[in-house]
Amino acid sequence: MSARIAVPVFPGTNSEDETLRLLRDCGGNAELVHWSQASSLARYDAYVLPGGFAYEDRIRAGAIAAHDRMMDSVIEAAGNGKLVFGVCNGAQILLEAGLVPGTGSIRRPTAAFSRNAPAPHFVCRHVCLKLAIEPARCAITASLPRDAIVPAWAAHAEGRLAATPEHLREIVAGGHLAFVYADSSGAVDEAAIPNGSALGCAGLVNREGNVLAIMPHPERDAWNFNHLDRREGDDVLATSGGAALFRSFVQALMS
Amino acid sequence: MVNLRDEELQRIAQQLGRDPSVVELHAFDAAWSEHCSYKSSRRFLKNLPIGGSRVLLGPGEDAGILHLGTHDGERYAVVVAHESHNHPSQVVPFEGAATGIGGIVRDVLCMGAEVVAVADPLRFGRCDDVASHQSHVARAAVDGIGAYGNAIGVPNIAGDVYFEHGFDENCLVNVVALGIVNEKDVIHSYVPKGAEGWQIVLVGKATDPSGFGGASFSSLTLDARDAELNKGAVQVPDPFFKNVLMRASYRVFALLRERGIAAAFKDLGAGGIVGCSAEMTAHGGYGAQIELSTVNVAVEGMPPEVIAVGETQERMMWAAPPEFVPDLLRIYNEEFGLSEVAYNARAGVIGEVTAERRYVLRYREHVVMDVESEFLTGTINDELPYTEKIYHGASAQELPAVDIEGIFPRVLAHRDVCSREPLYRRYDSVVRGRTVLARGAADAGVLAPVPGSRLGVALAVAGNPRYGRIDPAYAAEQAVLEAMRRVVAVGAHPIGLTDCLNFGNPRKAEQYGEFVAAIEALARAATELDLPFVSGNVSLYNEAASGRAIPPSAIVACIGSIDDIAKVITPGFKAAGSALLWVGSRELVGGGSVLAELLGVKGTLPHIEYDAERAALAIVRDAIARGVMRSCRVVADGGMLTAVARLAFDALLAGRKIGAEIDFGNPLCETGGFVCEVTGDSGMDVTGTLQIGATIDASELVVNGTRFDVERLYETWSRPLAQLYP
Repeated sequence: MSARIAVPVFPGTNSEDETLRLLRDCGGNAELVHWSQASSLARYDAYVLPGGFAYEDRIRAGAIAAHDRMMDSVIEAAGNGKLVFGVCNGAQILLEAGLVPGTGSIRRPTAAFSRNAPAPHFVCRHVCLKLAIEPARCAITASLPRDAIVPAWAAHAEGRLAATPEHLREIVAGGHLAFVYADSSGAVDEAAIPNGSALGCAGLVNREGNVLAIMPHPERDAWNFNHLDRREGDDVLATSGGAALFRSFVQALMS
Repeated sequence: MVNLRDEELQRIAQQLGRDPSVVELHAFDAAWSEHCSYKSSRRFLKNLPIGGSRVLLGPGEDAGILHLGTHDGERYAVVVAHESHNHPSQVVPFEGAATGIGGIVRDVLCMGAEVVAVADPLRFGRCDDVASHQSHVARAAVDGIGAYGNAIGVPNIAGDVYFEHGFDENCLVNVVALGIVNEKDVIHSYVPKGAEGWQIVLVGKATDPSGFGGASFSSLTLDARDAELNKGAVQVPDPFFKNVLMRASYRVFALLRERGIAAAFKDLGAGGIVGCSAEMTAHGGYGAQIELSTVNVAVEGMPPEVIAVGETQERMMWAAPPEFVPDLLRIYNEEFGLSEVAYNARAGVIGEVTAERRYVLRYREHVVMDVESEFLTGTINDELPYTEKIYHGASAQELPAVDIEGIFPRVLAHRDVCSREPLYRRYDSVVRGRTVLARGAADAGVLAPVPGSRLGVALAVAGNPRYGRIDPAYAAEQAVLEAMRRVVAVGAHPIGLTDCLNFGNPRKAEQYGEFVAAIEALARAATELDLPFVSGNVSLYNEAASGRAIPPSAIVACIGSIDDIAKVITPGFKAAGSALLWVGSRELVGGGSVLAELLGVKGTLPHIEYDAERAALAIVRDAIARGVMRSCRVVADGGMLTAVARLAFDALLAGRKIGAEIDFGNPLCETGGFVCEVTGDSGMDVTGTLQIGATIDASELVVNGTRFDVERLYETWSRPLAQLYP
């Protein structure tokens, strides 16, 4: 029996279907777990928190959901070394829950995904993520090549990593900066950052390497039909582009 | 405040044989408002073609339905609805525009469909001063649309925007929603035969005093002095709650499908509980009994007329067989815990369907309304006088010779031509992972709506107010043509249309005449092109207290089907050495163009010849079918050269430094058509096309010998709107 992946659905989640579909297309044994079934969450082997606006992003994106009882199971699972992967709102929830960068206490976040800057608006834009750690540093990225470029869509109003200068140094020194924004050739520059994020941060990993939180959505550039760089003749229904990261996640569960 | 006219009040009293109760007054006020009754438009709307082999459901219910295609032996259809939320958006732009999206989404949802896309044709006042009130409206309306659509997770894949002084006091916020449904699972907006004794279930937010008098308010001329007063008529959006309501409803659909049970489902829009329950039952040939005190309310002490016709958002209504109702209630109230998501929200039984065709409303067991269902919901007509006139003659005015080097950058930077990206970046265009061509990527948005299938659907909108100012009928025909061309340009087969008719005051013969002429023109264009209108909406009284009406605005959406999304035409030039073809009329006149505006001349409007239009569409579709079309763009605002430039911009953004060298009479004329990049050895029949040049291996445009750098043109084109939408 392959490892079971839960995709928790909070009130306000909106990216659960494509997240589930991509996990399955990458060979994962995944299912949605609705908030009314929170008690069943503990039985799963791994967790992928999808995008959306859980609890309306009240206070700060992810702040309320981090205290939802579904997160009790996720926090416990993370502590036991199970894989936890959050995308966009899922990433915001993991940060608010204190699971990434994971240098403080549970549910006492040390940093924030804050309002975008300089314009404090929602931004929907195609971006690329560049792997900024050794692939094996994080179990979820272990099958990616070094310096991997993962295409994705940024679609958020609160994605700018904000923390004190000391904490940002700690994030870098501790190897928590998992992904940075880059252009499609891998060059890291200001123009590639859609939201003013400190360090150009697009994703954070915890010390143990089993919890990964990324702001952009690889699952929206993950089949040839929605992959901007598809070539003529490619099967439009086959996975591509951002699917590489999801495949690496599923791969980690098999090893 | 009730807006019924004296003769209407008399008619009600006569029919009832008594004076109407307060609740009845408000119920008729909503039901007989222009907004709900189409009383001054119905007799003309019936001239629109609405049938065809693709049509599963034409106008009449909350949305129209068109056959899309077959996948795995199952037949799929797209559900489409098109509405306006103009008045509310002018008064309270964020909430007004947001509830526009909220309402149109419910119209599609209630047909049993999964909502897969929205689009937003917008018309704002001039925003040259970004601190002006018009600019505030333009920003807040866009933020409202984004806030709502983004949160419910429905991608915004199409839309357009124009900025005109004619909209300074009356913005237009039109909204379109698309859904996907297995044809077996369509749910209707009215009860079927055998529904006697079915229970009526209200589901959603607790009814509150917001949106009281909304339908009636939408049917009035706006007076800035009343703005504060009218704010109470605007509803309050709650996309967070809607997100949950939609997902809970999808669960109900699945259970109905599993059990093979029929039910009726309808959006609560204008006219609130009364409007919805009366139409739902009367159109099935039944009556209804409702007890208002069973309605979940947000505040105690609301008078019964407010509960009855208030337009609190995020509510819907089911009529279902009693044996299914416990499951229905369980899904909303327990599985999805609506009351935990919003105060006192729930699904609850409020009445039942009766065989006697009377609509009876009780409040704490006292009858507060008792009328013949047909009388409330039946057809009423206003035979108003209108002026017939010829809007533009044949008076030709030649365009002066232009200095292309000086004027082309000005055309690209013009408010109607420059990049819309600063605006649509605020919209999530890719949520749900089914977007093939995102908002702004091409002439139409494209989705793969059925996961695992190659089926695609394209959506585009059009309606050029520069034409509307000159000739409302001509503008309407061009709107049909442009929307259709846009869908064809991405490789889709046009299958249907929707319209929203935004006009002035029907009680002024000249403004009413514009409306009548535009409908006739829509009917002509759709008939000539053999496309049905399956859904639509009329928004009249778009007139400010100053008496100034908006430019007549027939806004059209076109839906296209795609058998295989692999054949979608992707953005931008693909290779150097391709032939560039112009497909369309050669009549290069400039009436209504951006060029004419910049030169300060009138110009002549290009003629519309349907034989030529059909031929052009056939050529483009043939080139796509043969696989020789590398890229394609419609010619619209900014003319043919703008279309060529945008193909070069898209290539540049994709890292392909490909430009074009073209030779063409006046490349800034906006005579409609297509610019096509085809393979050099396409073997296609080029009769009816004109080779205007070729793509080149450099990021340059060479136009009649004048050289432009593509990157610099891109800077010019991409920046202006960032002033308004930073």
